[in-house]
Amino acid sequence: MTDTKSTNKAKIKLRQFNVQAILQRLEVRMLGLVLLLAIILSLSSEHFLTERNIFNILDQSVVIGIVAVGMTFVILTGGIDLSVGAVFGLTGIFLALFLQNMPIPVAIGLAMLVGAGIGLFSGVLVAVFGLAPFVVTLGVMAIARSLSFIFSGQRSISGLPPNLDSIVYSTFLGIPTNVLFLIGVYLIAWGYLTYTKGGRTIYAIGSNFEAARASGLPTLFYSILPYVISGALAAVAVTFSLAQVMSADPLAGNGLELDAIAAVVIGGASLYGGRGSIIGTLLGVLIMVMIRNGLNLMGVSPFWQGTAIGSIIIIALLAERVINWRSRRN
Amino acid sequence: MQPHTLEHIRIAPVLTAQHVTKRFGSTQALTDTSLEMRSGEVLGLLGANGAGKSTLSRIVSGHLRPTSGTLTFDGCVLELGSTRDALRVGIALVAQETFLAPDMSVLENIFLPDLATSGHLSYRDMRRKATEILEALGHNHILPLKAEVRTLSAAQRQLVEIAKALALDARLVIFDEPTASLSTAEVDRLFDIMTRLREDGRALGFVSHRLEEVFAITDRVTIMREGRIVLENAVTGSLSQNDIIRYMVGRDIGTIYSKREVKTDGTREVVFEVRGLRSMPWVKDISFSVRRGEILGLGGLVGAGRSEAVEAVWGLRPKQAGEILINGKLAKIKKPVDAVRAGLGFVAEDRRAQNIVPDFNVHENLMIAQMGKTRSFGRGYSNKEMRVRELFKDLDLPMDRMDQSLLNFSGGMQQKVIIARWLLIEPDILILDEPTKGVDIGTRSSVYRLLQAAADEGLGVIVISSDFEELIGLAERIVVVSDGSSIADLPAEGLSEDKLTLIAAPRTSTARNQALLSSLVNTYGGEAFWCLLDKEQAICLARAGADLTGMDSGQALKKDETFIPNAIRCCDDTFVGGDGLQTLLTQMTDTRGHDLGWIGLTLPEGGELPEPSLIRAQIMHLNNENMAEIS
Repeated sequence: MTDTKSTNKAKIKLRQFNVQAILQRLEVRMLGLVLLLAIILSLSSEHFLTERNIFNILDQSVVIGIVAVGMTFVILTGGIDLSVGAVFGLTGIFLALFLQNMPIPVAIGLAMLVGAGIGLFSGVLVAVFGLAPFVVTLGVMAIARSLSFIFSGQRSISGLPPNLDSIVYSTFLGIPTNVLFLIGVYLIAWGYLTYTKGGRTIYAIGSNFEAARASGLPTLFYSILPYVISGALAAVAVTFSLAQVMSADPLAGNGLELDAIAAVVIGGASLYGGRGSIIGTLLGVLIMVMIRNGLNLMGVSPFWQGTAIGSIIIIALLAERVINWRSRRN
Repeated sequence: MQPHTLEHIRIAPVLTAQHVTKRFGSTQALTDTSLEMRSGEVLGLLGANGAGKSTLSRIVSGHLRPTSGTLTFDGCVLELGSTRDALRVGIALVAQETFLAPDMSVLENIFLPDLATSGHLSYRDMRRKATEILEALGHNHILPLKAEVRTLSAAQRQLVEIAKALALDARLVIFDEPTASLSTAEVDRLFDIMTRLREDGRALGFVSHRLEEVFAITDRVTIMREGRIVLENAVTGSLSQNDIIRYMVGRDIGTIYSKREVKTDGTREVVFEVRGLRSMPWVKDISFSVRRGEILGLGGLVGAGRSEAVEAVWGLRPKQAGEILINGKLAKIKKPVDAVRAGLGFVAEDRRAQNIVPDFNVHENLMIAQMGKTRSFGRGYSNKEMRVRELFKDLDLPMDRMDQSLLNFSGGMQQKVIIARWLLIEPDILILDEPTKGVDIGTRSSVYRLLQAAADEGLGVIVISSDFEELIGLAERIVVVSDGSSIADLPAEGLSEDKLTLIAAPRTSTARNQALLSSLVNTYGGEAFWCLLDKEQAICLARAGADLTGMDSGQALKKDETFIPNAIRCCDDTFVGGDGLQTLLTQMTDTRGHDLGWIGLTLPEGGELPEPSLIRAQIMHLNNENMAEIS
């Protein structure tokens, strides 16, 4: 018995070192793409591969990276959250208002509650009332954006407490704390999605809702939860943004949802749900930020950057599809 | 045999299909099938579930393209690229699930094919033509032209489909399982329409497995089994119900069912019971129970409400009434997780849509029920690893393919993993809905062995199957469900597929027969019953009045076990005594002389006996009334 067990284990180990199996993993191919991009960009600009610029890239990844985690959760269930950009803006306004007259942690906590509450609203409409996620979050997006103008009085709110920037500009072991926080969020999200009942339920809902329900999984709760997480993480992301610019703009986060969706999709997630990974999303975020950063360094006009990023998204997905066809034929 | 059909038989067929073969991927759905349809005739296309009737009729009507074979219509070779091609030459299909646009009006749907062509449309002309068509059908009053199709009943939608076919002047109309969702009166109305169409000289196809209806409406039948034609163009009147059933199910009963030794002493306790379950519109009144270590079969035709009943038990459908008892205690199951935690397992009917999580690998697909059951924050995988190994060994599943997609496996292998998913949580009761659908014969027997082994260990197993051979081979007891109600609870021993098919057939005349029995009792007293008789046993289908015969509806009794063995053995058309009772048995037949069972009237001995011919006349009168309404 122990014999067969150990040979089984050996077999499994052997498989893990199988090069082809590793190459077949999407994340590995994505990582390859990241490295390829880095090489190309470092060849085209001497400033790209400097320590300062690398931290710059990571720093720019924080906001979109955090939002993309929530978006991954939602997309894994087969939904979509178009409202994150607007919720980002609205919770930013709330956070700025809360910061005027309460301690920082309380203000951040309240802003997260607001974000989570908005997510709960969308989630219930989607999961309980069966409305299309696209439409629900489109509506919420309009509401949140309009409310952020109303609560801000159509102006940016400045005069935030000066020690707010300490969350961004302090370092730990030489690494900026916001980058550390980003890594922490990804680690927790990865562990949750991989090793917990809730995480696996989110995958199962997106893959086959009926089967998940019939197996006794709490499909209702975990259909709503991703929207709550997405809303709350929008508030977390805006905290970092506020700490950087030290003012809250009612227009903040305009188009952020599209960047987040792009990152998740580049990371290999299926918009039908059930397929995707948090590591893929992280790589997707890095690819987006690197391209933008590299184009800036090369002095490409910002008006051309959209074309470049859009083309790269489409080419990446197209390549992925072709590889998929090939492997399926084999 | 009516004279007009005799004339038509000499006419060349309007449609012939020759050597038609159809493959879906690796599945051979049709093998060298042929079909002939003639004007002014109704051809019945019969077969068990999955025999290929629908596939063949969909090929003829252009919904599917044959893999090989030729179709000729009116002497010309047909190349049907689409349903539109078929409609253009005059071939229409009226399917069970209709091809209507739900948001459009009745009128627009009738002329849907016209709407697809360019050119000017006159709503006034359309309305006039539609009214004419519906008048010709004799049913213009039940179909408001302005109504949205989504608001219509199934029967009304069907009428729209028929009108749509007639608007294109279809000369050949195939009805695919048209009566499945119709009430008795609606079936009669449909048959009336079909009769009119036949008299109009159109060729009609009637796809069904309801024998009564086949005898009522068809002139000839073609019977299919496992994708082949086993009987072609036989005149309906020349066949008996038993002939047809034999052709439908085939003679060769495989040896894949090794019957296990079961203690049937009734000492094992009832582990699971459903009482009076109601979940409209499919489930009206279903009760069944299963003992520890027993395999119970839930039999019936597709659409009888079996799957819907277990889905209601499982919390997937709303229940309006009914109790569920687990180990004698009332269980409240509102959602699937309640059932999982109460010790139930459920392999749903549609493997791909309801069981498999396609993006999970084999291991995770196996673990999903365990995850549903656990209350922990984590996945709860680790404490089941030993059991997983054991199960994989038992099931002949390769351990080293655990991290592959379940979709890479054969249907049989997938099914084994799905069953193992539930065995893993060690339930008390396992419900399986069509567990061998799309599973090859080899894996089939290993699924049976698996279920029998599980039952031997004390699991209560409930198997739903439309394959009666499987049901009789596997189960010890069979509860028959028909039209949403459980109508019989019979030991599998002594049952045959023929009998089960007869019992399960939804009888269009059931309600009328019940009324007939009641009126007999009201007039003469005693007990009236309707039963099927064969050499050894009597199967009671319905009864009314005092309990004299010892028979109960839905029960099979050996003739000696009834209180009237003498009368049943005689089957004389007069009152027979000798049992301490006086019993008159009269055979019921349809207009073409087919056996519809026996109507019996049992009176206490000593009383004054009514005149048998009077009673017979009453039975015949009601019977003929039924038939008159139909034809």
